Amino acid sequence: MASDTVVGAAPAGPSPLRNRFDSTTMHILGIALAAVSLGMLCCTLLEAVTSRRDTMALGTSALLAGTAGGLMWYATVPGVIRMRQVFATVSWTWILTTVVGAVPFVLAGTFAAPGVGFVEQVVNSVFESASGFSASGSTVLSDFESPGRGLMMYRQLTHWYGGMGVVVLAVAVLPFLGVGGLELITAELPGTSSDRLAPRVSETARRLWLVYIGFTACAAMSFYAADGFSSLYDAVAHAFTFAATGGFSVHADSIGHYDSVAVETVAIVFMILGGTSFSLHWRLVATRTLGYHRNSEFRTYLAMLGACSAAIVLIIWLENGLPLGSSIRAAVFTVVSLGTSTGLSNATGPGSPGDYVAWVAGAQLVLLFLMVVGGCTGSTSGGIKVMRMRVLGLTMLRSVQHAQTPRAVIPIRLGADSVRETVVSRATGFFLLHFVLVMAGLLAVTSLGGELETSLGAVVSALGNMGPALGEAGPTSDYAVAFTQPARLVLALLMVIGRLEIFPILLTGVGLVTTAYRGTVRQGRRTVRWTARRLEDLAERERE
Amino acid sequence: MSWAFASIVDAGLVLGVATMVCGLAGIGDDNTDAVAFACAGAVCAVIAAVARRRVAPPDRPGTGRVFAGIGLLWTVLVLFGTVLYAATGSVARLDDALVESAAGFTTTSLTLLDAAEASRSVVLFRAASSWVGGLIAVWIGVVTLPVVLRSTALIGYTTGRRGLDLVPSAATGRRRVLVLYSGFTAACAVAYLLTGLGVTEALVVGLGTVSTGGFTGRADSLAGYGAATQAVAGVGMFLAGAGIFVIWWIARGRLRPLWRSQELRAFVVLLAAATVAMALHRGVGWGEAAFMAVSAMSTTGFAVVDWTGWGTATTVILLVAAGIGSMMGSAGGGMRVMRAQLLMGSAGGELRRQLDPYAVVLVRRDQETLSQRTLDRLGGHQVAYVVLVGLGAMLLGVSGVSLLGSVWGSVSAVTTFGPAVGEIGAFGLLEGVDRAERLALVPLMLGGRMSVPPVLAGVGLVLNTYRTMQRRIRFSLRQMSRRRDTPGQSGPEDG
Repeated sequence: MASDTVVGAAPAGPSPLRNRFDSTTMHILGIALAAVSLGMLCCTLLEAVTSRRDTMALGTSALLAGTAGGLMWYATVPGVIRMRQVFATVSWTWILTTVVGAVPFVLAGTFAAPGVGFVEQVVNSVFESASGFSASGSTVLSDFESPGRGLMMYRQLTHWYGGMGVVVLAVAVLPFLGVGGLELITAELPGTSSDRLAPRVSETARRLWLVYIGFTACAAMSFYAADGFSSLYDAVAHAFTFAATGGFSVHADSIGHYDSVAVETVAIVFMILGGTSFSLHWRLVATRTLGYHRNSEFRTYLAMLGACSAAIVLIIWLENGLPLGSSIRAAVFTVVSLGTSTGLSNATGPGSPGDYVAWVAGAQLVLLFLMVVGGCTGSTSGGIKVMRMRVLGLTMLRSVQHAQTPRAVIPIRLGADSVRETVVSRATGFFLLHFVLVMAGLLAVTSLGGELETSLGAVVSALGNMGPALGEAGPTSDYAVAFTQPARLVLALLMVIGRLEIFPILLTGVGLVTTAYRGTVRQGRRTVRWTARRLEDLAERERE
Repeated sequence: MSWAFASIVDAGLVLGVATMVCGLAGIGDDNTDAVAFACAGAVCAVIAAVARRRVAPPDRPGTGRVFAGIGLLWTVLVLFGTVLYAATGSVARLDDALVESAAGFTTTSLTLLDAAEASRSVVLFRAASSWVGGLIAVWIGVVTLPVVLRSTALIGYTTGRRGLDLVPSAATGRRRVLVLYSGFTAACAVAYLLTGLGVTEALVVGLGTVSTGGFTGRADSLAGYGAATQAVAGVGMFLAGAGIFVIWWIARGRLRPLWRSQELRAFVVLLAAATVAMALHRGVGWGEAAFMAVSAMSTTGFAVVDWTGWGTATTVILLVAAGIGSMMGSAGGGMRVMRAQLLMGSAGGELRRQLDPYAVVLVRRDQETLSQRTLDRLGGHQVAYVVLVGLGAMLLGVSGVSLLGSVWGSVSAVTTFGPAVGEIGAFGLLEGVDRAERLALVPLMLGGRMSVPPVLAGVGLVLNTYRTMQRRIRFSLRQMSRRRDTPGQSGPEDG
């Protein structure tokens, strides 16, 4: 591997924290866990005043996470950080947060059922937690009535934390983090690069979170109004999903539970906005002007959603024989839901118009395409992203021109700006790795017993943080039915890989393997030297 | 004279002779078909021979023209086959004749022919069409792209210095490739004869092996044949998938380049990995796994068993193997092992650049460093390849194929493998597939066979024509508006 670039340094001068450990990874992880424990605590209170079923489980989890996080936070100090450590920090923070986030489900016995052992309960909890924090929305929960309101709200809250990112939150909390905060944000935020909304990185992170909170509040109020002011709990729970483009719902039949055009319209609007760059939302707040239409990525994003909706309306109207009105309602909602990587469904039951696994293959393939693409860069959605797809499309068109004039120098332009070649090769590299991961994931999941069509949809869905997939893992089913326990773990890993946009987890994995290999080689050499010395000693003794 | 015309004449000569031989071989079986094929072949060969004397290919044809010519060449071949099938009544409908012809010339193992009922001439012509298609694919990959276009940066040019001794010039290269290809075919046919097949059968299977066409003349491919025949087919498919350079080195007794070829090593490793991965599954024998692995990677499409029932993971392995495909310089399809290696190297370089954005990452193959420009083009090519597969899957999906059948069918058609999970099945029989779905396979097979650049060039030509038209229309509109404005503007000035 290449030599690491130092991207930040510890604050100069005598530190008041000099007796603490020097570890940025632990420090960030500590803050992340503390933040998650705060969420758990809020949900404990909600549980205590509502159903009281899972109060102990949530309270204990909050205590455990808070203690562990607080200790890590207090006992460490951020130090000099290199690029490899940036990726390791982000990866480990996400992996450990996911594991700790599964504790409430395990303690509450959310997945306990006759015939389900403890190991399977843990696997299901980790899957649910990974799906929550990665804002995917795939679920193994089949019984939506048993868990208390606090626990269900915690499930929604995992989406909200994961949407904007726990590392971004940590950077926002730390005003003195002079250790490559921008690199940390860039490694976590989806997209080709992170926009600086302020000169200071921590201020940028803070503004992102402020917009995120404001967005969530607006979504909650709109949903509350559209639902006829019937349930604030439902409104807040779904607002978390819209902001994070997650996919969890507090009802088994998702948005289909309301069977309301008003609710679906609000959902469509907020899902589209959730899939839009949060920098654009910040500009709206800061400058009070609508700059969306000037952003070429946003225009492409809307055009893509519109074109796919039209195509699917036509296909399911003609091929599936659905009435035009139902076709439009089902197609537009599903396209926006999957095109923004949210994954909510308006299916009212198996075989209903919104149940897209019953649509013809052509329509499902359009949905598969949307699952791969995802939303805009800088948004909370997953997938390859519209910007990268545009760059890839233009690279393909450039190949067309090169086929005719091989020596021509043809820059790639997005709007008025020409794209740097490094960005082009990064987009191509990302696409290739995404493709390789899909194939590897498909191979792994089918080897572990998954059915081919369902596995293909699930792998693409997991890497794109989509939620529901195709076949048996469709919008009216759950992953526990479709996949074995090991396959669920593979999918959980793919969700985290997809959420962090491949590079951090891959680089951490490569780093681990390299370190282990070097360690083994070093140990081997030592053993050989030691054995040789012993043999020499023995030979000398014999000579004597 | 244009390069396209010259290449069509060359191909026409080979095709004419092959068709004539098929017709003559059919005498005594179904004389009507035999005479029709012999006459059509003779006419085609004579016209091509006469034209060849008067046609001299240009020294330096433009890249765009060459790619457009390649597209035209394949179209002409497919149309020739279509007319012949339809005129002789071998295939009842014109659209079915088009599908059969496209499958033959693109070396895709898909068929509508009932070989038990078809005459000997038809069966032989079906096999010969894939043989001619395979030969032209090798010519394009080995001679046209690297020598005629004289550009080492081209996508198709990945033979490096190794190719120089086989192809010192375009004419010599074409001749040598023809001799090697024919020799390999003869060796295969003789080997099949020794395993106990009849002359016609040995020839048909031999032609199908060398060209990676996969046509056997039986409905169950090679499943009904003996172990010796299957073993010969396995070795033949390996060599056919390894490409003309490997055959050239073996023929010359040169083992060093064989050992040093990164692509060959990767090909062998991938084959071994696919075999082991499949054989580890329940109910899959080692021999069957190795046979199907080599069949998929060489994109031949032979089958010794109905592998669609092997289980999902094994079918995914076969899908990946067919997607990667054969080596450069072979008649097989797919992405090609070399391209896959380079793309993985490029993706690895990107991983490295994440750690050090200023790192200079070099991607090498066979002691040569590839330029970033070449890698970018490879990336563009790969995107186009995926787009073609995606569009194909959507086309199949809309025309009524199941989701799985659409994805598998599209990959299989674009890689020129043929068989697929779903409606098509393990033996590549199109009888159970609807007419619209069959027709949807034709552009996919052609796009995959042309290895995308000619398709891109075609798209480029359309785009250029559109832009030129747009410019002309704008210019005309401007002229018209100026003419209208002129009297009005001149009035006040004059006044």
